[in-house]
Amino acid sequence: MSVRSAVAEYAGLFGVLVLLVVFFSFKAPNFASSATFLAVANQIPSQVLVAIGVTFVLIVAEIDLSVGSILGLSGAVLGVLFLQKHLPMPIAICACIGVGILCGLFNGLVTTLFGLPSFIVTLGALEIARGGTYWVSQSQTQYIGSPIEGIAATSWFGLSLPFIVALVLVGCGQILLSKTVFGRRVIAVGSNPEAARYSGIDPGRIKRAVFLMAGVLASFAALVDTSRFQSADPNAGIGLELQAIAAVVIGGTSLMGGRGSVVSSFVGVLIIAVLGAGLAAMGAADEVKRVVTGCVIVVAVILDRYRHRLKARTA
Amino acid sequence: MKERFPRLAILLALIVVCIVALAGCGQNSAPPTAPTPATTNLTKKPKVALVMKSLANAFFQTMEQGAKAHQAAHSGDYELIANGIENEQDVPKQVDLVKQMIAQKVDAIVLAPADSKALVPVCKEAQDAGIVVVNIDNKLDADALKEKQLSIPFVGPDNRKGAKMVGDFLAKSLKAGDEVAIIGGIPGAFNAQQRQLGFEDAMKAANAKIMTEQAADWDTSKASSIVSAILPRYPQLKAILCANDSMALGAVGALTGANKAKQVLVAGFDNIAAVQQLIKEGKVLCTADQHGDQIAVNGIEFAIDILHKKATPQDKELPVDLITAQTLASAKTP
Repeated sequence: MSVRSAVAEYAGLFGVLVLLVVFFSFKAPNFASSATFLAVANQIPSQVLVAIGVTFVLIVAEIDLSVGSILGLSGAVLGVLFLQKHLPMPIAICACIGVGILCGLFNGLVTTLFGLPSFIVTLGALEIARGGTYWVSQSQTQYIGSPIEGIAATSWFGLSLPFIVALVLVGCGQILLSKTVFGRRVIAVGSNPEAARYSGIDPGRIKRAVFLMAGVLASFAALVDTSRFQSADPNAGIGLELQAIAAVVIGGTSLMGGRGSVVSSFVGVLIIAVLGAGLAAMGAADEVKRVVTGCVIVVAVILDRYRHRLKARTA
Repeated sequence: MKERFPRLAILLALIVVCIVALAGCGQNSAPPTAPTPATTNLTKKPKVALVMKSLANAFFQTMEQGAKAHQAAHSGDYELIANGIENEQDVPKQVDLVKQMIAQKVDAIVLAPADSKALVPVCKEAQDAGIVVVNIDNKLDADALKEKQLSIPFVGPDNRKGAKMVGDFLAKSLKAGDEVAIIGGIPGAFNAQQRQLGFEDAMKAANAKIMTEQAADWDTSKASSIVSAILPRYPQLKAILCANDSMALGAVGALTGANKAKQVLVAGFDNIAAVQQLIKEGKVLCTADQHGDQIAVNGIEFAIDILHKKATPQDKELPVDLITAQTLASAKTP
């Protein structure tokens, strides 16, 4: 991608982001401070991780509604194994990631082997994993405390380790998508699975890999959140799937598959987070927050659509 | 075909999970038996239905466990059917649950309403069917009850008083003019409003300045985002009052991230185990305990009492206790 096309690709989204920052800087005193931006940066890693997975899932023209519940279950398993089964932390962390692997495998295998819509499979997984979360944790928040604090507390110049890892993974995800054979196949399967099959790609395999990725990333996100709050909340991640889909779609990834960008999804997460931080700094009422967030989501997608038309016309 | 085996395995696994999950919960729910006359015949064990809000909430989970333990200890006295809804806001589902309990001809319904007004009509239906209704936890709206000419006894804590108590304790560490913030629960919920009012009462009495009041829907992560955002805006902030402990956890997370855990005091509500630990570590100042496990038990005992005496007693207020590092240290076994 040339510099010029990169600018064209991301200018619109960054424009929205800059507009938001400028607007809130005028509206809320002290908003334009490093403290605010560090707070936003350190609060988004889990959402970024989930959004990377969801981006790939949407590009292969599937959907994953279970990521929020996978986050809840992974965190609960981590907390329960460490606190109640007295297992060492590294094993509890492995089990946490293991939950993500299992859930991702479940979504991928059931969707592809039975040829079912992923909407309904992952909706089922959402319920199963959330029920499992309440079951293993007895609906109790598991307080871990300092043994897990280290992950989120490690920071350089105020930026936490999870944020840096999330940034690196955004970079890796983008390279995986646009520079590797796997990425090409993901896009091919998403745009036209029949054509992909005729060219020797097994769409089922690609889809299984993508669901697996989404599951593992959700459990990474669980690890990050558990460290940030030093506790695993059984209700963690409720509604996260829709937030992630909103962020990814704001980033211009198509719900119909075949098109998308990991970096743009990252900016989508940033837009939603900056919006939330700005509205909170203004002290906006809850009803106002919801209405405004909804409007910004729709407007951002409309702007993105308009930009694409413009690009198609000039091309 | 090579795919047949995994397909079959997945299908079987799903069915087995279903059966195992169902087998685990069967013992406590009584099967719908032959209809008993609505006028209770106490030679038989009365059937008491406990209808709660979301079992996703540790508070109601504790409530249910308390009720089940009580039933196990008094298994000769009554049968218990405990039910909750999946989602705290799912009012229609709770109405349906009460209707199912009426259809099952239970003798008494002990209800923690998800909405203080929307559940009133179905309570009237239950009373008309000769079922004793006891209201616990969240008080039914007085005007709506009057409109339906209903009298339903209430057994539960006074959230506003409890929140005032938490606020008053916090105020001891504040000076007049200190800046504070309030993080509220789901805006429409009665207990959220009551707790918010209680916090306001206490802060006004202490002459503290409430800089902002925002709803974080009882959610840890939402509370953390809001607190992160308001910290730069109000650098002089001295305290954050959270309407429940999950949000207090979020506030502590945000403060730790901003290196302000030492400057800003945090208060919660509910006394969940996680927050007890934080109180001991000095990261949370205090919380309130409504004795969730006793709320349903009190309601059930009340209902059985009414069934025996056939008279409607007065409302009963349950205590709310302040929990601080001191009370935790003095009461080794809570």
